[in-house]
Amino acid sequence: MTNHWIDIQNADCIMIIGSNAAENHPISFKWVSEAMARGAKLIHVDPRFTRTSSKADIYAPLRSGTDIAFIGGMIKYVLDDIADNPANYNMEYIIQYTNASFIVNQEFVFHDGLFGEVEDGKYTAASRGSWQYADTATPDTDPTLENPNCVFQLLKNHFSRYDIDTVCNITGTPKDVYREICRTYSATGQRGKAGTIMYAMGATQHTYGTQNIRAYGILQLLLGNMGVSGGGINALRGTSNVQGSTDMCLLSHILPGYLVAPVEGDADLEDYLRRARPSTITPQGLAGDTSANWWGNYKKYVVSLLKAWYGNAATQSNDFCFHYLPKRDPSLNYTHIGMIEAMGQGTIKGLWNWGQNPASGGPNSNGARAALANLDWLVAADIWMNETAEFWKRPGVAPADIKTEVFILPAACSYEKEGSITNSGRWAQWRYKAVEAPGEAMPDLEIMNLVMLKLKELYQADSRPLAKPVVELDWDYGSHITADAVAREINGYDSTGQLMASFGSLKDDGTTSSGNWLYCNMYTETDGNKAKKTDPVDTHPQQIGLYSNWAWCWPVNRRIIYNRASVDLDGVPWDSEHPVISYGQGKWQGDIADGGWPPINQAGNGAKYLPFIMKPEGVARLWGYGLAEGPVPEVYEPWESPLDENLMSGTKINPCSFIGTYRNQQGTPEQYPYVGTTYRCTEHWQTGIMTRNLPWLVELMPNMYVEMGEELAADKGIENGDMVTVSTARGEISAVAIVTKRFPPLTVGGKTIYHIGVIWHFGYSGMAKGDSGNILTPHVGDANTTIPEYKTFLCNIRRA
Amino acid sequence: MSKAVLCDANKCIGCRACQVACKQWNEMPGETTTNTGSYENPPKTTAYTLTKVHFSEADYDGKFHWVFTKIQCMHCEHPACAAACLVGAFQKTEEGPVLYDDHKCIGCRYCMVACPFGIPAYQWDDPTPWVRKCTFCADRQTGGLKPACVTACPSGALKFSERDALIAEAHQRIAAEPSKYVNHVYGEEEVGGTSWLYLSPVPFDMLGMPVVGSEAVTVNVERAMGAVPPVLVGVAALMSGIYWLVKRRQGSGGAVTPDDKERVGVPK
Amino acid sequence: MKINKRSIPVGTLILTTVVLIGLITMILRYINGLGATTNLSDGRAWGLWISFDLYCGVALAAGGFTLAGIVYIFRREKYHAVARPAILTAFLGYTLVILALLVDLGQPWYIWRFLFNWNIHSPMFEVSLCVMTYTIVLALEFSPVVFEALSKSDLPIIKRFKWQIPMRIIRAIQIPLVIAGIVLSTLHQSSLGSMLLMMPETLHTLWYTPILPILFLNSAIAVGPAMVMFESTLSSRVFGHRLSLDIFSGLGKMTAYILSVYLLLKIVDLLARGDLTLIFTAYPENLLWWGEMVIGAILPIVLFSMPSVRQSRTWLFWTATLVVVGLIFNRFNVSMLALGIRPDFTYFPYWMEFAVSAGLVADAMLVIWLANRLLPMGPGNKEGAITEAGSN
Ligand SMILES: Nc1nc2c(c(=O)[nH]1)N[C@H]1C(S)=C(S)[C@@H](COP(=O)(O)OP(=O)(O)OC[C@H]3O[C@@H](n4cnc5c(=O)[nH]c(N)nc54)[C@H](O)[C@@H]3O)O[C@H]1N2
Ligand SMILES: Nc1nc2c(c(=O)[nH]1)N[C@H]1C(S)=C(S)[C@@H](COP(=O)(O)OP(=O)(O)OC[C@H]3O[C@@H](n4cnc5c(=O)[nH]c(N)nc54)[C@H](O)[C@@H]3O)O[C@H]1N2
Ligand code: SF4
Ligand code: SF4
Ligand code: SF4
Ligand code: SF4
Ligand code: SF4
Ligand SMILES: [Mo]
Repeated sequence: MTNHWIDIQNADCIMIIGSNAAENHPISFKWVSEAMARGAKLIHVDPRFTRTSSKADIYAPLRSGTDIAFIGGMIKYVLDDIADNPANYNMEYIIQYTNASFIVNQEFVFHDGLFGEVEDGKYTAASRGSWQYADTATPDTDPTLENPNCVFQLLKNHFSRYDIDTVCNITGTPKDVYREICRTYSATGQRGKAGTIMYAMGATQHTYGTQNIRAYGILQLLLGNMGVSGGGINALRGTSNVQGSTDMCLLSHILPGYLVAPVEGDADLEDYLRRARPSTITPQGLAGDTSANWWGNYKKYVVSLLKAWYGNAATQSNDFCFHYLPKRDPSLNYTHIGMIEAMGQGTIKGLWNWGQNPASGGPNSNGARAALANLDWLVAADIWMNETAEFWKRPGVAPADIKTEVFILPAACSYEKEGSITNSGRWAQWRYKAVEAPGEAMPDLEIMNLVMLKLKELYQADSRPLAKPVVELDWDYGSHITADAVAREINGYDSTGQLMASFGSLKDDGTTSSGNWLYCNMYTETDGNKAKKTDPVDTHPQQIGLYSNWAWCWPVNRRIIYNRASVDLDGVPWDSEHPVISYGQGKWQGDIADGGWPPINQAGNGAKYLPFIMKPEGVARLWGYGLAEGPVPEVYEPWESPLDENLMSGTKINPCSFIGTYRNQQGTPEQYPYVGTTYRCTEHWQTGIMTRNLPWLVELMPNMYVEMGEELAADKGIENGDMVTVSTARGEISAVAIVTKRFPPLTVGGKTIYHIGVIWHFGYSGMAKGDSGNILTPHVGDANTTIPEYKTFLCNIRRA
Repeated sequence: MSKAVLCDANKCIGCRACQVACKQWNEMPGETTTNTGSYENPPKTTAYTLTKVHFSEADYDGKFHWVFTKIQCMHCEHPACAAACLVGAFQKTEEGPVLYDDHKCIGCRYCMVACPFGIPAYQWDDPTPWVRKCTFCADRQTGGLKPACVTACPSGALKFSERDALIAEAHQRIAAEPSKYVNHVYGEEEVGGTSWLYLSPVPFDMLGMPVVGSEAVTVNVERAMGAVPPVLVGVAALMSGIYWLVKRRQGSGGAVTPDDKERVGVPK
Repeated sequence: MKINKRSIPVGTLILTTVVLIGLITMILRYINGLGATTNLSDGRAWGLWISFDLYCGVALAAGGFTLAGIVYIFRREKYHAVARPAILTAFLGYTLVILALLVDLGQPWYIWRFLFNWNIHSPMFEVSLCVMTYTIVLALEFSPVVFEALSKSDLPIIKRFKWQIPMRIIRAIQIPLVIAGIVLSTLHQSSLGSMLLMMPETLHTLWYTPILPILFLNSAIAVGPAMVMFESTLSSRVFGHRLSLDIFSGLGKMTAYILSVYLLLKIVDLLARGDLTLIFTAYPENLLWWGEMVIGAILPIVLFSMPSVRQSRTWLFWTATLVVVGLIFNRFNVSMLALGIRPDFTYFPYWMEFAVSAGLVADAMLVIWLANRLLPMGPGNKEGAITEAGSN
């Protein structure tokens, strides 16, 4: 989230797209309700009429997988409307705070759905180069936005094809509803008005998921909705601490604090930094003349991290032990799908499965379960015996045939241990232990500590170089590790052992340490552990609901990031009712400003800092040239599409998407005529192992079910409550049919398209059992993140 | 001053946190259920499920609606259950809750038949059964807490406050957004008023809420029971009078007296 | 006294079997609870036992107070012959109602609680108190018969007691007792109707009216004589002592008058409430309404008004039967068939419910049979006996 949960209350319009917030983030609705009580409009866009839709002022159905068309059409609407009614938009914001005016490389071409040339699923270096600014270090701008090669004109050109007829022909959305949404949402383009977008997996779990989010970015920037209160792009993060775990580098491509992971080509620290650290870009001709390029501090953060990890062993002379870090092979995919494929192909031999359930949580469960059997060993550290831990005795297999040796490490659950969680709004909150863990169960941290101590002991005797990263690791927690000790270490120390006050004072000379620069400031000598703060008083002058003394939020307790974009060039808030920050008497008031420098027009002779400090060019990107499949979103069909062709171009699917090869059959519309999609329900959690064991929740949702419209059910002779079999090229499941008005057919490209909605909360372990929806899903992933395309595939259905 | 809860179906997201919170606070077991083609379960309130959320799909006013209504005891101002119960096991308290007392009940189930909302439920599976229904968390209220369901509600659909204040607020909400609400506060008048009040975007009968009159269901009973003492005295007097008159008119001649040995039917 | 000797063992054997099955079922009900032994549910918390055993039981026992009133207050000597059996039937009826309640109550062992926790506003409380007191009154009213029988006993221990003393006491308070009986009956017969006043939303408009208590009382008064006719005819078949036709035709005429008032009340009430058209439109409830009205009121009024009917024992018997059936129909309508069931529930009594009710009725029949064998039940009226013989 760029903003945070409570700030949703300040929105004038809320568009929930690609999320079922009411069902999956019920608490978010406290603030959605609050906003609505203050007059906000709620829009929900989802293939299915959900509990979220039931609360919406406007609900629009769309065919699963067509969000780019949907948002693209809205972008076109706004661009057209800007031409007609510029007074309704914040042109100063668009021109001064985004790269709308930037001149792009003349070489840029877009033809038939492609932004250049693709080889082996990747755009060529030349093509990628053509997406850049014409001058990559000091790009020219045209603040009149008239230069045909400026971003604004390129956008107009690109989205000119996204007219309402074409869009609705692709999405299946009724045109009148679509127009109403365009009208309603674009009204937040007014100065002082804010619209927010709430999204989650409906948006991301596509082969072009990242581009869906890019599209939101473009829309929000055109409407001046970034950085302001009640605006922003708000990813409703999934598990309670998924924000925290990504901050701490749960994902394979990063180090803590979103530092990029080293790859095999990085010869040394400087080489790595050359690749990873963005160079400052200084645009010419804007009111602001200086880009803070905060990532210029990269080295301080990496070195402090290495100091936290390797302590005294890390010195200037040995590159601060940079070489102890594992290096990725750039040709391999290290994400979930890639890992399961490697297990299936026999390259990965052992799996430490820590609080995860890939036997039913990942896509293509039949494949994943088979892949587990290829392992020599599997360690399952979990609070329940889940499908993964029990994969060897699942129905239909003979345990004797499975050679994998399985170890179970019982873990303490969240109420049985202390530590912090970081919520979607980036708030780190301290949680205390409520009860003792039963039996031999231990907090994960303790398990980790014991394992590490043992590893160190084992490697101590090993003289090979590979032992060094383990032996020299600064791991001094004793036999009883505490979350407090880890929290301090994450914050970091100076050379005297004092806690660092903030990342502003981290150094690249080895005199400071910090386990995660983003969290540097959470635990200080003056304030102690700020995640423990619970002061319910909102100290913001206009009480916009920041509650800055409740918990602590990264970075440096800044509650709304990019907040310099919430004020005009003089530092006066666009929105006087909900100002995030404002400048007066030489200082900023309100939230922690994104950099303490004065506003552009108040800088006098000093540097005039551009507002988006994390971007090398200092402004936000309408033109996002860093992604794998092009600088602007373009419509593609899902890997399994009910259509024969892309209705927008000759390029059917995202040319850069990841397509698995292990047990990954592709279905055709002839065999599998219906669009399948998977999602959650309020009553169950993920693979269900945590909820299917709780009688109160099993009572609420006792069985595996699928949802379908009345028309399709009538066609198939299926009655509400019947048992049905849903099949894809990869497997089939049985489930109870919920036949409902909430899933009507859509007309797409002249065809009638039916959806079948599948939950994925069931499995063969636990108290209430059933088939997992993931038996149906394919092993394909997004071009940038490899997030699986859980949300759209082809399936068939019959009465069981 | 009596407490009430306002349930705004325009805010309820059907998450059923209230349903689970109620089970948790009241230490009720999970029931064995099956999915029969809806999100709703258990299908009905029972002695082990004191509240449940009802899901209604309705076309109204040119719009498709999916409306969620939390069902539990309405805590009537003039509760039929309390008027019915021969031992006074049900009592309407001044604070709002209608409470039930195991220590009085004999299990006649008149309360169940009498309740216009079909609320009191019985422990049919138990050889020593009691009646169960929502307690309005009176135990929590005495401790200064809100009802468990209200505390759990994430969306603000349930609001706990003084009844008068809530009725005023309900009308304000309707007035503020007349297109979103039907102009009716269910429970304000129903059966003489209830402590649980409802707002809805569609007419209440579309939600399966009983269509009941505004008169307390107890008025006719109260009237009838008020007639008991006069009837008692009246009938006794009338019968004595008739006896006296008839006896006098018949004189001693043809009179039959019960103590006439011959006449009381001693077989010969 | 002619007794069909062969019919008794067969009859009693059947009755005894039914009683035994009922007894075993009752035991099962106590062990396993109501859920396992009935089809009752939250949607239908009252079933066969309440409709039949309580609602019909109490009304059908109304013969006790009507006949007592006719004989002792209005001093219609003619009906004296049926007073005793009527009182016995009433007594048994109430005993059975109490027994049935002990089965139906969820916690019968706590039945005493109602004596200590009074809700004087509950019609159910009033019914309970009246039923309890009235049963005692009936027992007292009937006790002289027992004392008489005992005083004639040959057993020395029994003989030694002076039975005349209690007999005399009872006789001294007989009129107050009868008046008490009438008052109590008036109250609880009507209060059974008041109980349903609580259900304006669930009881169908065709039946729900503020005057339900009056209608209940009225119909109970009407069914009293009819029940006496019905039951005496049957017992005379079994035990041979026949009653004078005069009594029957008199009772028939009386019933016709009472039922006419009832019919009038029903129509005027519907008219006054503006719901009369419902009897044509409220399908299918209107069929139930017509059923009970035709069988229980209209036909009997017509038939009882016909002199030819009043001269035929058979016609009188069958017409009385109509009244009884009509009343049962009515009580089932108000307490079950026309009373809204909660949505998505259905109810049809489980066999065990039938078994218990049948067992209780069989109980009563056995007791009546025993009473007729052991107690001085026959008509104490010489003329009656003669007329009987004469008309044979
Ligand atoms: N109760 C509950 N809450 C949860 C979870 C849970 O398992 N149970 N999981 C948590 C986790 S880890 C996560 S990541 C979040 C996920 O939160 P959400 O993203 O809200 O979860 P989903 O239900 O997977 O998907 C949301 C919606 O996307 C819709 N959808 C499908 N295809 C498309 C499409 O192409 N476009 C659009 N616009 N919508 C589409 C589906 O119909 C569905 O309603 O929820 C979190 N919260
Ligand atoms: N078809 C389909 N599949 C999906 C998705 C979808 O939308 N559709 N969504 C995807 C998303 S967004 C997500 S996040 C994943 C989630 O997929 P998983 O993470 O695999 O699913 P969970 O069921 O959350 O598994 C978490 C495990 O952690 C255990 N656990 C809980 N607490 C603790 C603890 O404190 N310590 C330890 N050691 N273990 C603990 C639980 O018992 C459980 O076994 O699923 C993905 N899969
Ligand atoms: S489940 Fe937990 S994290 Fe999710 S909305 Fe409810 S309280 Fe918040
Ligand atoms: S709803 Fe029913 S149980 Fe609740 S107070 Fe009213 S009459 Fe009593
Ligand atoms: S079942 Fe209990 S609470 Fe209900 S009316 Fe009877 S005695 Fe009263
Ligand atoms: S008030 Fe208490 S008892 Fe009633 S529904 Fe809410 S939680 Fe349950
Ligand atoms: S907790 Fe609140 S929002 Fe959720 S179902 Fe209950 S009343 Fe509705
Ligand atoms: Mo997630």
